[in-house]
Amino acid sequence: MIRFDRVSFSYGPRFVLQDVSFSIRAHERVAILGESGVGKTTILKLILGLIRPDSGRIFIDGEEINDMTEEELRKIRMKFSIVFQEGALFDSLNVKENVAFCLREYSRMSEEELDMRVRALLRIVGVEQAMELMPEELSGGMHRRVAIARSIAAYEPKMFLYDEPTSGLDPINAEKICRMILNLSENQSGLLIVTHKVIDALKVAERFLFLKEGSILLDGSKEALVRATIPEVKAFLSELHFHPDS
Amino acid sequence: MKVREWISDLQDFYLLSIDGIAAFGKRPFYLKDLIEQMDYAGAGSFSIVLVVSLFLGMALSLQLSAELSRVGLKMYTGNIVGVSIIREMGPVVTALIFAGRVGSGMASELGSMILGHQVDTLRVFGVDPVKKLVSPRILSSIIMLPILTIIGDAVSILGGYFIAVYVSHQSGAVYWSSIREVFDFENVFAGAIKPFIFGYIIASISCYMGLSTKGGAIGLRRATTRAVVASFILIIIADFVLTRILLYILGFSI
Repeated sequence: MIRFDRVSFSYGPRFVLQDVSFSIRAHERVAILGESGVGKTTILKLILGLIRPDSGRIFIDGEEINDMTEEELRKIRMKFSIVFQEGALFDSLNVKENVAFCLREYSRMSEEELDMRVRALLRIVGVEQAMELMPEELSGGMHRRVAIARSIAAYEPKMFLYDEPTSGLDPINAEKICRMILNLSENQSGLLIVTHKVIDALKVAERFLFLKEGSILLDGSKEALVRATIPEVKAFLSELHFHPDS
Repeated sequence: MKVREWISDLQDFYLLSIDGIAAFGKRPFYLKDLIEQMDYAGAGSFSIVLVVSLFLGMALSLQLSAELSRVGLKMYTGNIVGVSIIREMGPVVTALIFAGRVGSGMASELGSMILGHQVDTLRVFGVDPVKKLVSPRILSSIIMLPILTIIGDAVSILGGYFIAVYVSHQSGAVYWSSIREVFDFENVFAGAIKPFIFGYIIASISCYMGLSTKGGAIGLRRATTRAVVASFILIIIADFVLTRILLYILGFSI
């Protein structure tokens, strides 16, 4: 579904990705790991065509998206659902309006239908009681859940993209979010999660890419990750006090 | 490299300001966002414009009364207050207040939306950020700044009247007849055209600066400061250019 072919990207003089190549199939559950600032979020933005690579080619379902117009990219983006870091809820809208945002844009639902649909979505993510609250009144965990509900409101995505979905959350809330992520991709949707939290990545993904200094140092299974002999990967795991046998 | 970046920024700004206007004619029309922005820009700035304009008119009247009384021409206070306020000071001062309050608000709001990935979210949802965020802000500024300017002008003239009559002991009737005299087409047109242009300049610059925010809280501070400073400078420059053009068009000899 996603193919990166020798993709490079830089922010001004700072190289973030250098000749990165990988492919992800539609139903795969993949985690991209790495420290902050190594370009994990950049990969998500490149997949969605929010930014364009300096060189290399990106394919979504076989279509090259590098030179697509915003109109053409709109169709590509509808294949994905994304939850950005911290949720990215619209501050000026309450929870109901945030979740209903896409529905108002794309459907001609009556207020009653809209209300029912939003309630159902919030029930799925377990925050139905927060319907009238403003984003500033939500806890970190609730924020992410509402963002997840909003991301699946208007259409059924082929793949879920998550940008650090559990960062800043306590272990209980992180666990709940991980479970929710797994539940949502149960109906054959793929998922791509970028995170620096190995424990959470291990809970939801089956394949792992490790990113360091603009390159992918490891691409493999859970077993390959935890038994990795690559010094950078080992250092990353030990810095997080992660032990393969734990 | 710096020059190339600067030219590229200028080109982006130019495109955004054109797209922001061009998007008015395309569907969907975000009426709710427009009303929200009009409320923020207009109703929110009303009291500040009122206070500043009142004291501006009073200070101007005070200065002119003092200076004109030395040459025995105090009766022209109303005339000069009227012309200065309607043609020059009213539009410029209101625009500066607007840039300081509304422009900085627009830049910081859009900047934090960029940093919080809310603009990216809009794009992922297939919503054009220029249409949803920039157009309502430009349109609300073009509508509200002229209205605020008219209110500000009226309050300044009233402030001038208060000083002329109660402090400088001039005749109220003479003051009002002088004001009526300056309310001709040339003066009103010259003063009325400027706020539309200033509103467009302030909103375009502020939206551009906000949407080009990079680098966290410091980037946000930089974007907001740049929006206000650039708006101030461009308002003053545009005022000079417009004044020169309007004087020429309206047949004033210099």
